[in-house]
Amino acid sequence: MARVVILGAGISGHTAALHLRRSLSKKHEVIMVTPNSKWNWIPSNIWVGVGKMSTEQVTFPLAPIYKRKGIEFHQALGTEIHPEGSTTSNKAYVTVKYTDPARSGQITNIDYDYLINATGPKLNFAATPGLGPDGHTVSVCTPSHAIEAADKLQEVIALMKAGKKQRLVIGVGHGTCTCEGAAFEYAFNVEHEIREAGVRDLAEIVYLTNEFELGDFGVGGMTFAQRGFQTTSKLWTESLFRERGVTAILESHVEKIKPGVIHYEQLDGIKRTLDFDFAMLLPPFRGVDLKAFNKAGEDISDKLFAPSGFMRVDADYTPKEYEEWLASDWPNTYQSPEYANIFGVGIAFAPPHQISKPRKSVTGTVIAPSPPRTGMPSGVMGKTAALTIIDRIKNGDQREAHEASMADMAAACIASAGSGMRSGSAAAMTMYPVVPDHVRFPESGRSVTDTYGELGLAAHWIKYLLHFMFIYKAKARPFWFLIPE
Amino acid sequence: MIENSADLTGAPLPTKKTLKQRKNLPLQIWRFFALNIRMVKMIMKGTH
Repeated sequence: MARVVILGAGISGHTAALHLRRSLSKKHEVIMVTPNSKWNWIPSNIWVGVGKMSTEQVTFPLAPIYKRKGIEFHQALGTEIHPEGSTTSNKAYVTVKYTDPARSGQITNIDYDYLINATGPKLNFAATPGLGPDGHTVSVCTPSHAIEAADKLQEVIALMKAGKKQRLVIGVGHGTCTCEGAAFEYAFNVEHEIREAGVRDLAEIVYLTNEFELGDFGVGGMTFAQRGFQTTSKLWTESLFRERGVTAILESHVEKIKPGVIHYEQLDGIKRTLDFDFAMLLPPFRGVDLKAFNKAGEDISDKLFAPSGFMRVDADYTPKEYEEWLASDWPNTYQSPEYANIFGVGIAFAPPHQISKPRKSVTGTVIAPSPPRTGMPSGVMGKTAALTIIDRIKNGDQREAHEASMADMAAACIASAGSGMRSGSAAAMTMYPVVPDHVRFPESGRSVTDTYGELGLAAHWIKYLLHFMFIYKAKARPFWFLIPE
Repeated sequence: MIENSADLTGAPLPTKKTLKQRKNLPLQIWRFFALNIRMVKMIMKGTH
């Protein structure tokens, strides 16, 4: 009998749990530890943030799904990993603190044979004073944040209907943020809603980003082949901004936010301010507050985790200049180099470096998008770790780990630019590989024919369809496993 | 106008025809299926 414990029921951890339970017989245990009672399809939070969807449409309770599938569910926060056990037992275990209202605050230890760390990010609003729902800006990172954003948006729309001009700033709240794609989506959904409300001429919409150029999206931009020419995501994105009248401020690190004023620095080192009436700025991420201890009870967190708090896996973490980065720096198996029965997947794994070229301002401030590792790559990583564990439980610990490097992984991404079955639009993008490989693809680091972008109503329909497909899959309805990650 | 905003004056604006095509139902129904096929191909490529 083997026991697999998964920390975190986001896209990566939940995917891993479902695949493990499907492939392992009932004599093996699959245990999910996650602090939230509900699963959230995060890509649709932007629609909650403009009032097009309710929280109920993007979430569902996890307990009934896990009960039906035979997955033991602990609504709790993983706080400690003890990979060598304790002085009294060699059995590895995790310490968890319950968030379940019935057992709130209780602490217990759960033994494991295999552990998947899929804890996702800590939303690090504290990195920028005044950032976030406890400060002066809103967010769409969680359904409750998105509801608040939608309410504030309605307030500024009401003011515009009363004839008052408003400035809406949407983007990222720190120089090292990721998820620029989500900020882009929210900016254009807000623009769409304001246009539909008939007050577009009274709104100044500003996209504030740490990207060096539009279309970077934290992946260093993309090069497409289109109608006999090579074009770039920069040109394509700039065209959309110009068409829709959205202003962009690039190369920015937000330093602090005071009521109605954003203080930011750009690569030229000049510190500027930007007044706002409404601001949705995403926070930077760091690893969750998870500690690790050896058998003697000594803190070994530095061995398991990078300084960012994300888990070290089989990547090459040797510090290198941008020109020396290789596709092979990126992990293949997501297995901890210290403990072969621990895996770090999704946002929880520590990337070896950025994908976009990192830059510093003349004063030394780092202004560099962090690499995105959400959505499709996240699900693939979760499944890959699950397949390795399944293989090892069935065939022995010496089995080779399954592999899925982001440098050999394709990704399809749909970025909404406005919701509506006849009036909506979205950008459909595919890229291969996610992490550029300049050895295989010397021109741009990616396959120019497989990397693709298209804007239109059809892409919105696909994003809408994916919303239902992935919730169906996450609910483990019949034949869920036929829907790819 | 914000002084330090990105200069987008060189960005190509879509023509009226392109904007119409992006909303044209028969064309978009075709693109819906074409895009789905492209995405499935990419998924297959990414999960070998």
